[in-house]
Amino acid sequence: MSHTIILACGNPLRGDDGIALHLAHCLQEQHWDPEIEIRYSQQWTPELAESISKVDLAIFVDASTTVPAGTIRLQPVSFSKPWRGGTTHSLHPPQLLALARELYGKTPERALLLTIGGESFGHSNEFSRPVRGAIPTALAQIRRLASGVTLPEPDALPSAAIY
Amino acid sequence: MGNTITIDPVTRIEGHSKITLQTDDHGEVVAAYFHTTQFRGFEKFCEGRPYYEMPYLMERICGICPVSHLLASAKACDALLAMKVPPAAGKLRRILDLAQLIQSHALSFFYLSSPDLILGMDADPRERNFFGVMQAQPELGRWGIRLRQFGQQVIETLAGKRVHPAWVVPGGVNEPLSVEKVNKLLEQMPEVIEIAQKSLTWFKRQLETFREEIRTFANFPSLFMGLVTVDERAGYYQGKIRFTDSLGNIVADDLDPANYQEYIGEAVEPFTFMKFPYYKPMGYPDGMYRVGPLARLNLVDNCGTPLAQQEWVEFRELERKAVLSSFYYHYARLIEILFALEHIQEYLLDPIITKKQARYTASLNNLEGVGCCEAPRGTLIHHYRVDEQGLITWANLIIATGHNNLAMNRGILQAAKHFVRADKMSEGMLNRVEAVIRAFDPCLSCATHADGHLDLQVQLVSPDGSLLNEIRRPA
Repeated sequence: MSHTIILACGNPLRGDDGIALHLAHCLQEQHWDPEIEIRYSQQWTPELAESISKVDLAIFVDASTTVPAGTIRLQPVSFSKPWRGGTTHSLHPPQLLALARELYGKTPERALLLTIGGESFGHSNEFSRPVRGAIPTALAQIRRLASGVTLPEPDALPSAAIY
Repeated sequence: MGNTITIDPVTRIEGHSKITLQTDDHGEVVAAYFHTTQFRGFEKFCEGRPYYEMPYLMERICGICPVSHLLASAKACDALLAMKVPPAAGKLRRILDLAQLIQSHALSFFYLSSPDLILGMDADPRERNFFGVMQAQPELGRWGIRLRQFGQQVIETLAGKRVHPAWVVPGGVNEPLSVEKVNKLLEQMPEVIEIAQKSLTWFKRQLETFREEIRTFANFPSLFMGLVTVDERAGYYQGKIRFTDSLGNIVADDLDPANYQEYIGEAVEPFTFMKFPYYKPMGYPDGMYRVGPLARLNLVDNCGTPLAQQEWVEFRELERKAVLSSFYYHYARLIEILFALEHIQEYLLDPIITKKQARYTASLNNLEGVGCCEAPRGTLIHHYRVDEQGLITWANLIIATGHNNLAMNRGILQAAKHFVRADKMSEGMLNRVEAVIRAFDPCLSCATHADGHLDLQVQLVSPDGSLLNEIRRPA
């Protein structure tokens, strides 16, 4: 069986920024496959690299300020170098893959970034209407990905594929 | 004509700051200032809130050392309730405190400072970061990640979350620890203790390379302050305050942290949002003291755990009396990681930590409470006053980094005078000045506090650097 990790990132006190954490909680509560690891964090940090190096599929989930509100976007993530300008307090998925490869010698066969466009990032623990509306689709999308539904190879995906 | 050199921002530290260096007509540095440029107002905006919210409000001060604020705040609330916590809770809180120290020290040493130590102070700044370390010495990168990960894992195992947990409550902790969780942590101890030992061995081999930095990085006599236990160990979670001098003499001892205002004064300066605590009997600024890992290892006569004790003995042999160079904060940090790991192991083997009674309850019994513990960077004090409904009427925080403010300012002056030449400037010179600050590992988002009204100074400076106008509002 292939190993999968879902890495949800966000701040639950900043409105739509917390959507990834909410999705991860929903997945965990809905009879989620315990073999699929879910990690919650406010920022992606180097300590995640080792776990990432041990899986076949990594799904990064985050809110986006650039994608239209309520839109779900799926992008392939690939190892990136150089990593100039990186800060150890907050890494991007390509940098985490780079760390996994440099330090632990392995990256997942596939890595994907699923983002949900947000509208409101102020102090709040509620989601905007477009983001609330996107939740069922986003959950279904993550379930499909994690259950091994065949998708086009990452290289064949456009850089900002929308499903 | 003299000039001002600005280092903005100071990099690889927690929080936002800059350094300005004043040079004279000959290009020699004559003054140096460390400016904390961010401002927050936790003392003020917690007024009116109920005391039992304080641990969870105050821990939001920081994303790196929230556990320290959580503990100091909960202890201040314990004092408001006039209660002790159950024995199991006391030990669980101590484990949490030590885990916090491990993860924070690993972050400081491996992520923030090791680029200077491995790649060199003069390395290309675009490569001089943790990712550069990863390429140059991947094994060291893995050690740093593993140690930080373990500290965070202990916090998560006990408190449910790695950052901003709500597990510590006034009166104890809100859930006991299971035997299964204890065993899971114990399984990992040999591996992480070995990593801590290897890190120390590696670091000690580097010291020869940094003789000049050791000599000039805030290397001067000062007082040292910290908590000490009744059995003469550094008191991380609990103890009485001790001050020693640079000769190792005890200046003041057995001081109750609750009476800190009797012996710690707080000054403000117009160029920074960070206060300047000082030892009151010696006045300001002569009462400069240092806190944190270097101070803690200078204050005591034994370290308390077998492996750390061996390292501590070697460390104290660096100098005949107190170890004075702030470059050695790095060294002390690694010894403290080893100590914390060994001490956590001792606690995990103590069956009392799985007892079910982990919290006592009481109602408000005092209108004033002080909580104190050793945060990774030094002594942390939370002081609250409440009204009869338990609403906060006044709060004061003395943050670990703040205690070191006088020493950091003097330290950058010492290093800048030695390394910086205005007519032959290089990036490496300025990086050494920054590296003095990094050695102290300041956490500025925690440390930015105003004492009453800020002493505010606004300057209008022309493009050639001359002062055109100045408005000043005294504190």
